[in-house]
Amino acid sequence: MSNSIASYKDALDRLHHYLSRFVQLSKQEFNVFLPYIEIREFDKKVKVIDTGEVERYLNIVAWGVVRKYLPVRNMELTVQLASEGHIIHSELSFFYRTPSSAVIETLEPTVFFSITYDSLQDLYDRFPKAERLGRLIISDLFIKKDDRFFDQLNKDTRERFLEYVRTHPQMLQRVPQKYIASYLNIKPETFSRLKHLLRQGKRGPA
Amino acid sequence: MLELLRQFVSEFVSLTDEDFTILAERIVVRSFDKRAELLRAGEVEHYMNFVVKGLVRMYFYKGNTEVILNIAKERELISSSSSFFSGKPSNYTIETLEPTTMLSLTRDHLEEIYQRNSRIERLGRQMTTHFVLQKEEWEYECIRLDARERFIHFIERNPDLVQRVPQKYLASYLNMKPETFSRLKHLIKNNKVRPIKS
Repeated sequence: MSNSIASYKDALDRLHHYLSRFVQLSKQEFNVFLPYIEIREFDKKVKVIDTGEVERYLNIVAWGVVRKYLPVRNMELTVQLASEGHIIHSELSFFYRTPSSAVIETLEPTVFFSITYDSLQDLYDRFPKAERLGRLIISDLFIKKDDRFFDQLNKDTRERFLEYVRTHPQMLQRVPQKYIASYLNIKPETFSRLKHLLRQGKRGPA
Repeated sequence: MLELLRQFVSEFVSLTDEDFTILAERIVVRSFDKRAELLRAGEVEHYMNFVVKGLVRMYFYKGNTEVILNIAKERELISSSSSFFSGKPSNYTIETLEPTTMLSLTRDHLEEIYQRNSRIERLGRQMTTHFVLQKEEWEYECIRLDARERFIHFIERNPDLVQRVPQKYLASYLNMKPETFSRLKHLIKNNKVRPIKS
């Protein structure tokens, strides 16, 4: 680790703030969690985990942008795009301790707050508040996954595009278009066309 | 009935008799006829249900088409979980396909139990994790497997459901056309489709 945890004060403050949305967590309580957290730094375009490896970490993005994809039939299907404050890891591999079928790759220089599987279990065993925090964060992840799943099934291409642009305006600047298109399950050509229409303000009623 | 539930939860955490009693005290038994609506899209889900006997499906309407997201049988949980966790209106409707008996717990009771017992709260965390992983697995399967592979995977794990669930529902659940489902079922019967070696 090239930096001490203290040099990430702002990012840690944001982490504290993020966790406090789920349970009330004093500064002291938050500090108790810190020894369990590793700071991991990556350059742009680095595979944080590749297929076949077992996921050791649960990561929260301190800063940067990361994508998770499944390599399928010569394609890379993006299943998640994560930026500051988002949780990203290969969860099936992490929880079942099996080889990952997903790849996680940085799109910008990225810093993670990471916790290993064993540290997490240890944390749960020692602190009932961590247990609650874990439960509530996982419930929140489920809700987000379900929302995305439902939108993919229920909304048409244009609606998915507009919704994403509205809720993630900065990602359009930070993430190559083809990855967002893949994430939204929209053809790259369609994505370009929709982006063009949006710029011209020909949105029409959503 | 409670013994079934006890077996089920013991795969996640070991609860003492006392822990389990706390849970059991709050459980209600609910019985429904066939084709009963437990929850309608737009309503808030208050229950987490464990199926003791029967069969239940969860679906929504896309235009005029029903899209089925879940089919739950004995020893499985069913709830519009996202609504249950968030307290927001459900996107989905839940309906019985057979006369069904379930053990149910309300969100309020569950929250109250979590405050009192950290082992049950751990159970809650692990079940929630289980839901997340199921969803993730399902998404990966939809991406990685073609119709034939999804079909085989499903019937290997749920041979009984092919008999119990109307074919059009299974087709919808597996995200394939009813004709494709029929064709695959026919091929299986004639042993022309081999299981996937994974």
